[in-house]
Amino acid sequence: MIKFSDIKITGADYSIIFVVLTLIFIGLLAIYSVSYQVESLALKANFTRQVLWFFISVIFMFIAILVPTKALHASAYGLYIITIILLVLTLVLNRGNVVARWITIGPIRFQPAEFAKISIIIALARYLSHEKRNLSKLKDIAIAVGIVFLPFILIVKQPDLGTALVFLAIILPVLFWAGLSSFFLFLIVAPFIVMISSFNYYTYFLAMILIAIVLFIFKPTIARSILIVVVNIIVGILTPILWSNLHEYQKHRILTFLGMEMDPHGLSYQVIQSKVAIGSGGFWGKGLFKGTQTQLRFLPEQHTDFVFSVIGEELGFIGSLFVMILFFIILLRGIYIAAKVRNKFSGLMVIGATVILGFHIIVNIGMTVGMMPVTGLPLPFLSYGGSFLVVCMILIGIIINASIRRFNY
Amino acid sequence: MQPIMTLVRKQYLYSTSIVILFLILITRFFYLQIYKQAQYFKASEKNRIREVVVEPTRGLILDRNGEVLVDNHPSYSVYAIPFEVNKSDSVLNLAGQILNIMPDEIRNIIKNGRTGRFTPIKLKRQIDFETLSRIEERRLDLPGIIYKIEPRRYYHSGVRAPHIFGYLGEITKEELNQAEFKGFYLGNIVGKKGLEKFYENELRGMRGYQYIEVDALGREIRKVTDKPEILSLPGKNLYLTIDAKLQLLLEARLDTLRGGAVVIDCTNGDVLALVSKPDYDPDIFSKPISSESWKDLVNDPDTPLYDRMVQSLYPPGSTYKLVLAAAALELGIVKPDWKAFCPGYTWLGYRKYDCWNLAGHGELDFLGAIEQSCNVYFYKLGLKVGLDNWAKFSKLFLFDKPTNIDLIDEKSGLVPDRDYLDNQFGEGGWSRGMILNLSIGQGDLLVTPLQMVRLAMIIANEGVYYQLHLLNYLEDPIDGTRKWPSIDSIRISGISQHTYKILKQGMYRVCQGEHGTGRAATYRNIAIAGKTGTAENPHGEAHAWFIGYAPANKPKIAFCILVENGGSGGKVAAPIAREIIKYYFFTSKVNRDKI
Repeated sequence: MIKFSDIKITGADYSIIFVVLTLIFIGLLAIYSVSYQVESLALKANFTRQVLWFFISVIFMFIAILVPTKALHASAYGLYIITIILLVLTLVLNRGNVVARWITIGPIRFQPAEFAKISIIIALARYLSHEKRNLSKLKDIAIAVGIVFLPFILIVKQPDLGTALVFLAIILPVLFWAGLSSFFLFLIVAPFIVMISSFNYYTYFLAMILIAIVLFIFKPTIARSILIVVVNIIVGILTPILWSNLHEYQKHRILTFLGMEMDPHGLSYQVIQSKVAIGSGGFWGKGLFKGTQTQLRFLPEQHTDFVFSVIGEELGFIGSLFVMILFFIILLRGIYIAAKVRNKFSGLMVIGATVILGFHIIVNIGMTVGMMPVTGLPLPFLSYGGSFLVVCMILIGIIINASIRRFNY
Repeated sequence: MQPIMTLVRKQYLYSTSIVILFLILITRFFYLQIYKQAQYFKASEKNRIREVVVEPTRGLILDRNGEVLVDNHPSYSVYAIPFEVNKSDSVLNLAGQILNIMPDEIRNIIKNGRTGRFTPIKLKRQIDFETLSRIEERRLDLPGIIYKIEPRRYYHSGVRAPHIFGYLGEITKEELNQAEFKGFYLGNIVGKKGLEKFYENELRGMRGYQYIEVDALGREIRKVTDKPEILSLPGKNLYLTIDAKLQLLLEARLDTLRGGAVVIDCTNGDVLALVSKPDYDPDIFSKPISSESWKDLVNDPDTPLYDRMVQSLYPPGSTYKLVLAAAALELGIVKPDWKAFCPGYTWLGYRKYDCWNLAGHGELDFLGAIEQSCNVYFYKLGLKVGLDNWAKFSKLFLFDKPTNIDLIDEKSGLVPDRDYLDNQFGEGGWSRGMILNLSIGQGDLLVTPLQMVRLAMIIANEGVYYQLHLLNYLEDPIDGTRKWPSIDSIRISGISQHTYKILKQGMYRVCQGEHGTGRAATYRNIAIAGKTGTAENPHGEAHAWFIGYAPANKPKIAFCILVENGGSGGKVAAPIAREIIKYYFFTSKVNRDKI
């Protein structure tokens, strides 16, 4: 039973809240700047709408703070099942559309994939925190990976590769945090290495030799060794076949993501303009509302995916550095709390939340400075977008929640 | 199973990873925002600022008295902004319909002329008023189609002189590759022929630049205040040595003929009139010429595009006897009192060579032979002088060199010397009779009328000549400063005053002598010295030539008149010289003294 006394707000790590509020304020300034000189009412409305979403997201954050750990633990699988149903529904309801990302119910339109980010880390945390879980058992690892892989596949189908990659990104850090041994880390990583190397006979051969060396070091049983080798061989054979079935633009993104293909035309226009914006900002920036790239709209997606470029241009190196420090505080506090929390379930949720935020931050900023491909991942707290802001605030709520109850088991 | 690491160690591992990733990003900021700031700032300024080229006003062309011969007149050109018009096919289709250009051709123009997404590309220049109003009517259906006022050349003085002025045209791809046209782009207008081309750099002026802030869609937001506009500088005005009235007079006089006339001031090399007929109306090139009109011009059997005075080669006929006469006197081969008898023909071997006067001239001395242009006398003289001396004096009188007048595509004459003839007919393949033909300006000898007027000037000045030129001076239209080209007087060596004196006496007698062939040139009391020519040619009737200078005692002007297939030089060409004399020494007396 959930008791009223489980609802706590004292002892929270409010430094995070302060940092988050500062970031949101900077984000609002950037969004305001984007619409500053424009007659377009739609753009002007963005700012007001984001302010509204800010208030809504704060409410969600407090709900996430207040929900007792037990309640989260109890509802974890239920939420997961609902999420999977919603993701399947998204595909079914939008059948025939090129892009199927939204569910519309009356006036509400939302992206199940966004909320899946929350339910997956809760479900994964619950599964991995079970005392009988043994992460040296292949079955347990497989189920944990499966928990993430199911929504991953559904989101890839939408198709929304950028968001789907977020799910892939959380697997290893969370599993490792939960106690995965280096050998199993290898077991998981190996197929990916094989995948990448499978397009060329020599690299494929080299990868298999590497696997053999690692197997020799860890010395698993003969049966397991054979299984590992066979699985990896199959992966190596299947990858090129699956590859040819991908959409051109998906291939393109994956390749670019792996740094294997430069993108001199299409998407790079955005990246070039973004780099020009950030670079031209210089040390002090061109001044708020004075960025020519921003104000004259040379920056694409400047209030959503490329909002960081606005900051880089108008507030310069100093502003960028300041934002990085704020993000840095959030992530480090997240990891710190995850390590300090006594409850393993909470700890895993916190590390999951931190990884999700961290992945978004690094991929998004990396994209704006031309180090990462254009994946369409927004920047937490700064990018325009209601549901994403709510999700980020819930993730923060989860982190704070854990910090409040860090002494509970 | 023991966890490999404690949570605290994992915390450090994870935190360190974050630190490393963040440091990478911050290093990148440093690289972009501090190390490469200048470069990216420039790029953002280039985004923001559209450089608009302000084409300068082209210089005018005026005559020696300041009358405007080539003026500028406003006209409209249509441009397309690629970014706007590429959005939908309908714009280009409609524009093509109005401008009468095939849609595919428009797309080609845009593709080839593209320098930036927002830089306008010229589709058609000098549209007529009706087209302009049709564009204006469909304004809303034609986003990205704009028009600009651009001057075009305008000729309102009545002087045609298309060969002198030349014309303007759109720059070609080949020209774009030349160093002279660095910074030019397709659609730019440059001089193509004549003075427009020769003085392109002077006439063009300097471009100006305006800086306009644009947004990502290319919309013009405002004039940039932090980057000052660079004003364009108008081109220099060309004041010619041409006398418009004389030019007009000769254009009218020669209008129905094929041929031309050139009149120069032999005291300084000023070209007072330079007419070539048939010609064409220069105005047809002031707007884009249709391919039919172009074909008509190119294929016209009368070749109106050719400047006959500068670009065409003719046998000079008897006018060239002066060269042989000079050689004979200078080399002392004969004295002026050397006589020869003309029965109307002479024999060389088994071949009979006729005089133009088949009845014969009887016995003539040197001056008499020039006066009556006796062929037989000069055949005999030619045999005495020989081919080598003849060729040597031809070259002394510069017939193997162009005059280097300030026009393009000038041709040089052909002096057949021994090497040439050996080359042409094989060694020994040509007979001694060759010199007979050359002696009377026939055979393989070819000259331009400009070279002939130079000969008249050299004789008039007794060995001194000036570089022929059309440019009097350049005037800066802003401050009025003038710049004169330096014209040097050049002396021909190797021919004595004595020789010139006798040549001049001969030429005097051509026009004043009782039997002179050029008597038709004289007007009232002005003494003229000249030489007629009736050059046989394979194209029909002989070419009528007349060269000379006046007044005979103190030469001021020299001239050369050529009428293709006109017949007798004395009857057809000399009367034209008379009109030149009449105009120059009587009608325009007042104007002439002013300059």
